[in-house]
Amino acid sequence: MLILTRKLGESIRIGDDIKIVVSDIKGKQIRIGIEAPEDVSIHREEVYQMIQEQNLLAAQFDHKGDKELVHLWKRLKKQKEERK
Amino acid sequence: MNISTTRFGDINIDESTIVHMKGGILGFEHFKRYALLTHDVNIPFWWFQSVDDGSIAFVVINSFMVRADYEPVISGSEVELLKIESPEDVVLMSIVTISTDPFTITANLKAPIVINSKNRLARQVVIQEPDYPLRYSIADPEMLAKGDENIYISGIKNISSELAP
Repeated sequence: MLILTRKLGESIRIGDDIKIVVSDIKGKQIRIGIEAPEDVSIHREEVYQMIQEQNLLAAQFDHKGDKELVHLWKRLKKQKEERK
Repeated sequence: MNISTTRFGDINIDESTIVHMKGGILGFEHFKRYALLTHDVNIPFWWFQSVDDGSIAFVVINSFMVRADYEPVISGSEVELLKIESPEDVVLMSIVTISTDPFTITANLKAPIVINSKNRLARQVVIQEPDYPLRYSIADPEMLAKGDENIYISGIKNISSELAP
């Protein structure tokens, strides 16, 4: 990983169109400003990880065949009945 | 156009119905084009099938069917990016996670796929406000059935005939 030292107000460029600015420093917290093209998604790392993991998990539902969702629907209904 | 899928075999998609992702689905950013598939219009679950890679598909559901009071705040930059002109054009889809043992089914309300039904641009948006769950349990079919009144998106490919044996 590339490590750079920056002072308050200084910035970093990534490629032609991404700019990262150190906008405030308070103790152990740093506020960072980011300028990037609108279709670049920017997330806090932990949020990104969480959503990515959930997406990967969801994509694993790879039952072959065509009637899976119908079965799923019936099963959901059955589960509801059983709870009554 | 014809696409080969691992789940449904070869299917023919009308190109004008393809949903174009801006920024992609997190973890699947390289795949930008998706088709919405159903094989039974009475079932609220659909497939969000990648056009670029036939092995990638997600089960999705209209977010409002999962929670009728769903009111995520979508930021101005997202609205601009997707060229949304009117709230009525917005369709929110939640990715569904299904596990069979034990049988649980949840919908992702934290990061819905926001689709502009007019131009078919879409993006998986992380909702900051309010804080919705990533795994919201779906357990009430009756509640889901009520959501049928919700306006849907056109161009959902019905693949039941193509899949008939």
